[in-house]
Amino acid sequence: MKTRAIKKEDISNLLKEASRAWNVYVPQKNLGGDTWFAELDKAQGNISLDDVDTVVSPKDIFFPQLEPMFEFSGGQIKAVAESSPKLLFGVRPCDLKGILFSDDFYKRNFEDKYYLSRIQDVFIVAKGCLKPPRRTCFCASAKTGPFAESGYDLQLVETEGAYLTESGSRKGEDFVKKYGQFFKDYPADAAGVVERIKKEAAESLELKVDFQKALDLMSKDNFIPQENYERIGERCIYCGACLYTCPTCTCFNVFDNSKGNTGVRMRNWDACVFEGYTRETSGHNPRKEKWQRTSRRYEHKLKYDYKLTGMSGCVGCGRCLSSCPVDIGISKFIQEITESKKIM
Amino acid sequence: MTRVLTTCIYCGCGCGLYLVSDGERLIGAYPSKNHPVSRGALCVKGWNSYEFSNDLNRLTTPLIKKSGKFVPAGWDEALGLITDKFSGFRDRYGPDSLAFLSSAKTTNEENFLMMKLARAVFKTNNVDHCARLCHASTVVGLAATFGSGAMTNSINEFEDAEVIFITGSDTTAQHPLIGSRIVNAVKDRGAKLIVIDPRAIELAKYAVIHARQRNGTDVAWINGLINVIISEDLLDKKFIEERTEGFASLKDLVKEYTPEYVEKVTSIPKEKLIEIARIYAKARKAMIVYSMGITQHTTGVDNVKSLANLAMLTGHVGFPCAGINPLRGQNNVQGSCDVGALPNLYSGYQTVTDEAIRKKFETGWGAPDLPGRPGLTVTEIMSAVGDGKIKGLYIMGENPVISDPDSNHVRDCLSKAGFLVAQDIFLTDTAEYADVVLPSASFAEKDGTFTNTERRVERIRKVIEPPGEAKADWQILCEVAKRMGYGKMNYEHPSEIMDEIASLTPIYAGIHYNRLDPYGIQWPCPNNEHPGTPVLHKEKFTKGKGTFAPIAYKPPAEPTDAEYNFVLSTGRVYWHWHTRTMTNRTSTLERESPEPYVEMNLEDAKELGIRDNQIVKVSSRRGTISLKTRLGHKVAKGSLFIPFHFREAAANVLTICAVDPIAKIPEYKVCAAKIEKI
Repeated sequence: MKTRAIKKEDISNLLKEASRAWNVYVPQKNLGGDTWFAELDKAQGNISLDDVDTVVSPKDIFFPQLEPMFEFSGGQIKAVAESSPKLLFGVRPCDLKGILFSDDFYKRNFEDKYYLSRIQDVFIVAKGCLKPPRRTCFCASAKTGPFAESGYDLQLVETEGAYLTESGSRKGEDFVKKYGQFFKDYPADAAGVVERIKKEAAESLELKVDFQKALDLMSKDNFIPQENYERIGERCIYCGACLYTCPTCTCFNVFDNSKGNTGVRMRNWDACVFEGYTRETSGHNPRKEKWQRTSRRYEHKLKYDYKLTGMSGCVGCGRCLSSCPVDIGISKFIQEITESKKIM
Repeated sequence: MTRVLTTCIYCGCGCGLYLVSDGERLIGAYPSKNHPVSRGALCVKGWNSYEFSNDLNRLTTPLIKKSGKFVPAGWDEALGLITDKFSGFRDRYGPDSLAFLSSAKTTNEENFLMMKLARAVFKTNNVDHCARLCHASTVVGLAATFGSGAMTNSINEFEDAEVIFITGSDTTAQHPLIGSRIVNAVKDRGAKLIVIDPRAIELAKYAVIHARQRNGTDVAWINGLINVIISEDLLDKKFIEERTEGFASLKDLVKEYTPEYVEKVTSIPKEKLIEIARIYAKARKAMIVYSMGITQHTTGVDNVKSLANLAMLTGHVGFPCAGINPLRGQNNVQGSCDVGALPNLYSGYQTVTDEAIRKKFETGWGAPDLPGRPGLTVTEIMSAVGDGKIKGLYIMGENPVISDPDSNHVRDCLSKAGFLVAQDIFLTDTAEYADVVLPSASFAEKDGTFTNTERRVERIRKVIEPPGEAKADWQILCEVAKRMGYGKMNYEHPSEIMDEIASLTPIYAGIHYNRLDPYGIQWPCPNNEHPGTPVLHKEKFTKGKGTFAPIAYKPPAEPTDAEYNFVLSTGRVYWHWHTRTMTNRTSTLERESPEPYVEMNLEDAKELGIRDNQIVKVSSRRGTISLKTRLGHKVAKGSLFIPFHFREAAANVLTICAVDPIAKIPEYKVCAAKIEKI
């Protein structure tokens, strides 16, 4: 089959058409240049597919920062669940990896019905990055980008004036057929063009770390000196951003918003760097010290996840660094342990 | 889902954040990437700022107290009762039998309307707000020395400073996005940090020198630094000559503040004092940062003026990365002062005693006979309520039962109020004393502006509808004015209020909503083309020449004695906000800091046989509270520190009502206390 391409100016009509079948989410940009994933009707006129650096990954579409679980009143309980069909357009490969990781997590030991209900009918259009949207990106080192290898339904490869498409699933192929009026055969040697673009994109990432070496080092027990964790733990201001923005962080806390015997049970994003995260009812805390909570985070991402699933819990998006008020980040941690230096 | 760019409700950093709504409730908050303060980051309070608005215990309808119990009422009945009572008091006892407490948590527009309501409608200058309790000393002290009581620089300048000099500010806890810049400047760019603070705050670990003065001895050590700088000839003669006045008398006064004498008074070793003087004076880009540790003293104004002396002496003011930076606590405490929620000033620090200014407002507001005598301050208002001199008190968005000094006195006064109105989002401890409670909208439920600590006027935007019948504070105030028969307080939208502020306020003259997208403008902004002002006092001081203020050291109001042998100071923690009405309804924050505690030095604890986490009794001459100990070396021997957030063990039961003679700010940072096992 020939490679199909869509002209940039046809994108908004395609999305309009697609919004008949799906809730379409697309990157939107404001006056100041902030970008986020918005529902199509809210993004009209401000859609931006270039230079998209959303502060939080689109994980919040399936795992909102705060979500109701059930409502209760006078002993009666009413479940709440959202399950609309969703089309995410322009997902970055690192964020796609985060979604795939979360999919696996939320099915692994028990099924999380809230997450699975939200994501049950989803179509993902990934878009590779020609240039890293953040100066902290290191997806090429983590081997998650700047183009995805799998997991998407469609992937867009940007050329001048048009996007070439790569289908990653049967659904993707059907999509191109269904909306055939927007997709044309690409006249030139598509494979060659795509290969060149992907190569240049990978080379455009200035931040490079020895990711595999880090995973290997982390797999050794107690390899990282406690001093490293202490130094980072002392510098940290415990805002939670590195966990909140992380595409693979899945932790939540559960609480009730109630008045009398009426209310809503809610869950919201939690973060393992908080002291209260592991505090037990007795007051005892197995991870009371800052360094213990710091080590937990790095070991979870770079050791236990990898050991358990073969996938690292870090997707190389660089958000932990770009959202950190005190410039701590996992790429810096990797540089410290693989290059034996202190930069935090 | 809807995402709306707005401004954080917590501290004076004024971070730009997005609130996310599902239409029914707020479901998230995250930072703006390109906002100049947040730059993609927030502190934990900002990240969790979406939660409290959703709380089902929000006030949703006006309440009227009948036979000691609150009964839901309609707006008509509640507002009718308020205007009846207030106009009755006014007619019978005169306009000054009324007082209005505005709020640094509400918008500029709302603060402006509160002072307009007090002055134009009820004809009293008895209007004040919690700036009295935090930076009243700054407003007075920097106005006298520089001509403008605000941060001289901008937040991002901390990153490029050579020397950062912090005193009386636990910056990483209270202004986390400024504290972070300081950490980065020190750790990554080699800036030198000087910390002068009785407590070993987080930033002390990054300091080249941390000096721990005795609480309340600030004028002494600042004069000591000035003494050293003069005697070692490290002063900026050109700057003093060209840009200041009154140096000779300062030089004279500081002669007796030798390092030896200062060591005796402050306990700062003389070698440390000399070293600090040298580091600060020799640097070019040196920024002073201060906050409540300087201002909340009976010598608060003296402390601020002394810091201004120090900066002028060394020429460290008037260019980027050099100046004096009072970090304003509340999200909009800068703005609420700017727009005149103060008993002696209209918006833009224009004085009520100036007839020409009064005329301007009389014309602008169509309100003849504006009162020309300054009104009472927060602390004076409370006592006057207790004395019966003030009959009607209207409190918007403040909780003095927990936040004001000597809580038992505050409770006693409020219980004697002729008629008390409380306008808030929750039924606070203060609202419990009210005759009428009015439900207002949270920051997510209305449009407006906040002004952050770097003088950036920025938008807040409505994301979601207020619960039940709650209304925005500005709408409620307009309703009251209308019922009083005043015709010039009708607005469709807060932008019209800002246009009015601009028309009457030179420093805000160029501030209009259509200019505030996306990230605001820093005042002074004198006209519609002006881009705003990141650094103050560049070519000359706002008042022309900077004025040196020679000041002698005076000890705090309440010395320790044999019985009350500990010095108690109060403050805040990173996880909570002020009287905790919002943060105790935020699951993550409340979990991190669930209970009150007293910080105590380990050696003192050993001597008294007190263990960590043990419940003890702390008393002052005003009252007693019980709470757990937290032992360590954060406070010096002989000192105690208690966060004031917790109603369960309210630190302000213990604090003293002694105030600065000019700024009338209470001395929260020093009182005598004792600690006992239970």
